[in-house]
Amino acid sequence: MARVVIDPITRIEGHLRVEVEVDNGVVKDAWVSGGLYRGMESVLLGRAPSDAFYVAQRICGVCPISHGHASTMGSEAAMGIKIPNNARIIRNIIEGAEALHSHILWFYTLTALDYVDVVSALSANIADTYALAAAAGTSTADFGAIQKRLKGFVEGGQLSIFTNGYWGHPAMKLPPELNLIAVAHYLEALEMQAEAAAIIAVMGGKFPHFMTSLPGGTVWIPTEEKLDDIYFRWQKVRNWIANAMIPDTIAIAKQYLDATTYGKGCGNYLAWGVYDAPDFDPKKRVLPRGALVGGLTPSDPKPEAIKEYIDHSWYTSGDGLNPAKGETVGKFDAYSTDAKYSWVKAPRLDDKPMEVGPLSRMLVAYVAKVPGVVSLIDSTLAALGVPGKPEVLLSLLGRVGARNLEAMFVADEMGKWIGELIAAVKGGDSKYFVDQTGEGEGPGLWEAPRGALGHWVGVKGGKISSYQVVTPSTWDCSPRDKNGVRGPMEEALVGTPIADPTKPLEALRIVHSFDP
Amino acid sequence: MAQEARADFNEKLAARGVSRRDFLKYCGSVAALLGMSEMYAPQIAAAVEKGALQPALWMAHGLCTGCTESMAQVDTPDVPTVVLDLLSLNYWETVMAAAGSQAEENIKATVAKGGYVVIVEGSVMTGDGGNVLRIGGRPGIDELKEVAANAAAVIAVGSCAVDGGWVAGKWGGDTANMVGATGVTKFFADNGIKAPVINLPTCPVNPEWVVAMLVDVLLMGQLADGSILKKLDSEGRPKLIYGSTIHDNCPRRGHFENGEFVVYGSADHAKQEAAGWCLYQMGCKGPQTYTNCPLVRWNRRASWCVESGSPCIGCGTSDALKGGSGNWFDASAPFLARTNNVRLPGIGGVQPSTIGAVVGGVAAVGLVAHGLGSAAKGRIKGVPTEDQKVYDAKKKGGDK
Repeated sequence: MARVVIDPITRIEGHLRVEVEVDNGVVKDAWVSGGLYRGMESVLLGRAPSDAFYVAQRICGVCPISHGHASTMGSEAAMGIKIPNNARIIRNIIEGAEALHSHILWFYTLTALDYVDVVSALSANIADTYALAAAAGTSTADFGAIQKRLKGFVEGGQLSIFTNGYWGHPAMKLPPELNLIAVAHYLEALEMQAEAAAIIAVMGGKFPHFMTSLPGGTVWIPTEEKLDDIYFRWQKVRNWIANAMIPDTIAIAKQYLDATTYGKGCGNYLAWGVYDAPDFDPKKRVLPRGALVGGLTPSDPKPEAIKEYIDHSWYTSGDGLNPAKGETVGKFDAYSTDAKYSWVKAPRLDDKPMEVGPLSRMLVAYVAKVPGVVSLIDSTLAALGVPGKPEVLLSLLGRVGARNLEAMFVADEMGKWIGELIAAVKGGDSKYFVDQTGEGEGPGLWEAPRGALGHWVGVKGGKISSYQVVTPSTWDCSPRDKNGVRGPMEEALVGTPIADPTKPLEALRIVHSFDP
Repeated sequence: MAQEARADFNEKLAARGVSRRDFLKYCGSVAALLGMSEMYAPQIAAAVEKGALQPALWMAHGLCTGCTESMAQVDTPDVPTVVLDLLSLNYWETVMAAAGSQAEENIKATVAKGGYVVIVEGSVMTGDGGNVLRIGGRPGIDELKEVAANAAAVIAVGSCAVDGGWVAGKWGGDTANMVGATGVTKFFADNGIKAPVINLPTCPVNPEWVVAMLVDVLLMGQLADGSILKKLDSEGRPKLIYGSTIHDNCPRRGHFENGEFVVYGSADHAKQEAAGWCLYQMGCKGPQTYTNCPLVRWNRRASWCVESGSPCIGCGTSDALKGGSGNWFDASAPFLARTNNVRLPGIGGVQPSTIGAVVGGVAAVGLVAHGLGSAAKGRIKGVPTEDQKVYDAKKKGGDK
């Protein structure tokens, strides 16, 4: 048995440490530790609900839109506000743009370097690279120029962000030509994530941290020039996902089919649902609300059934409370995987750990027979040679693939929403914002690109009286609970093969597959 | 530069697929970004040609990763140029290939060699003995001390790194925050760290400013000869970027002068906003916030906060010397209430009394003529306002 520590985990949002016990080349046990406590909930107390919208986004600079929306929805639920239809459509579009931005950035910038050997791309044959791109149906670039640029860079001797990567690792399986294609698209992806983010900038002022989805609706008012701006930016990103990201995903997945045999995790999936329908029913959201516990049988998740445990977290009070009555009072104790080892709490639904994220959303939608999701998953399973076997998705490869397939699904849906908005504006609907106050409590239950997100907000006398957040990474990166049951990422690490304990690349793949 | 070295540099450029013509064009865009004439392009080019990539470490502290995200949105130059051709970013947690011990080795090797620049993102977390942020199995501040001690310069990107930002906000709106969030300037002063600090507040940082500073520091050699420090105000901010208010450069300024204000939820809200009326009555902090956002804009110039229909929330307000108590959240909230208690930051080179006159002039003349005056005439109703400011009471001429 060898204890392997990865700290810091890089290519994520925030600070994470992972420890694994490796025996005979396989992970036998795992501990995931969140490293940062900032106290957002305490900072928001006593402020105006609109202030909470602006500042709560600063929980996550990669998914600020989702936090802004969950905060605003929590305040609106507390104050009894129903937003105008235009605001619903506009929020869906902004949320969708963030999902495209986030998924592109995640696949190419954050996790691709776990599968793609940048140095190997130097030995690619250029003619073979074009042939491979044609066979895979993925878009081409000036592969010769890119290889030359890469060569000059490597020969310069200063590898910058690529210094000390796991180049030549035995678990890297792509041929040089596919590595070169991926490097070309790695560079293009930087352009595409920025194009998706620019849609948010047009509708929200800037990204990260947008300005317009205030409690009451939206203060962004579409004009013709803004509508055509977002339409053409959307079209460019959507086509790139269809013509590069999806074929890349299939081509790379075919080389890593062993990743369907491990990384499953807890096997319980939760989605609050995202992209509201006209009647605001969470079960009718474009990606609907639902849970799957211990298989693909759907159930109806009740927010009241959540409890957050702190047995292994550095908090001093509020053990076992529902977030509506939750407390967050931090106090560091010693770091010990036998006792307390994380700033992340352990939320459980009906006392079970729940995986959240694109895999959960896509599985819930697949089981609910959402047409676009069913066709995407079925065609992908067929392309990988496992038609009619959705259960292979309960794995590392499934978690990676589901995120990219979701990008395609959302990109196509977004086109419909932009059409919906244009129709509403043409029809003369000029209502975007309602000026209303009230009191009460309400959760805003929504989805960030990386999973189910809840902001539990209390409003009294125009001010925030209570505030608790359960983020996607609180679910996925949670430590053990009071019963010693591992969190979803910890559980997914168990059983992972490790070829070289000094370079635990395969463990990084599992961690990154959750997009923490 | 010796002819030989230049030929070598041109070869390196060519190897990276960049022609000399492209390179000079790029230097011209850098000059434009810095607000300089393109005349300076050859000078920038000469500075770049000095050879090896500048080593840099991008350190992640009490952050949301928003400043890294923001940096990923820059296109003049774009990200690949920054990380492949301009800097050797040997440590940047969010994008670097290495992890764990391999990542930490990159820090050690860079620190041992010296001559590197440190970019800090996120609040400096001092609470619980520094354990509210743990990196590599120890308090994050321990790592910051080691990295800073040998740094040529430190750039604090974003309000959190400048003074703690929202993380330093009062708990419950009135209790000192318990996580000990502060900024780089204050932390260095408290720990006897001498590295020069350039502060770039706003939440997140505008990436155009980061690039501008990198060019100033790294390429134009302004750190070595000390001239960079003369471009900074008393809080370490570049005067070119933080020298005038958002209000001064706002495209909606004309509507302010005309007394044409957006009121959320009013019958004409959509029309007012489509016409680009002023957001002052919605609480805009433009008159008291010193950044050039309306000129540089955001996300490759796609838009900026006020253009989207929201008031400025003053995220560029900072107080690096106090390091916490002057954070933008406490200084600017409630964001949607009209603020008359205009804060007067000590911009270097501009006397507080002058700023007072400028801000006072705006507040008094603008408010009295259009804001308060309009309210008195019944043109604007139902807008919450705070206590009347001393400048308003004097009615005209500000505090001169």
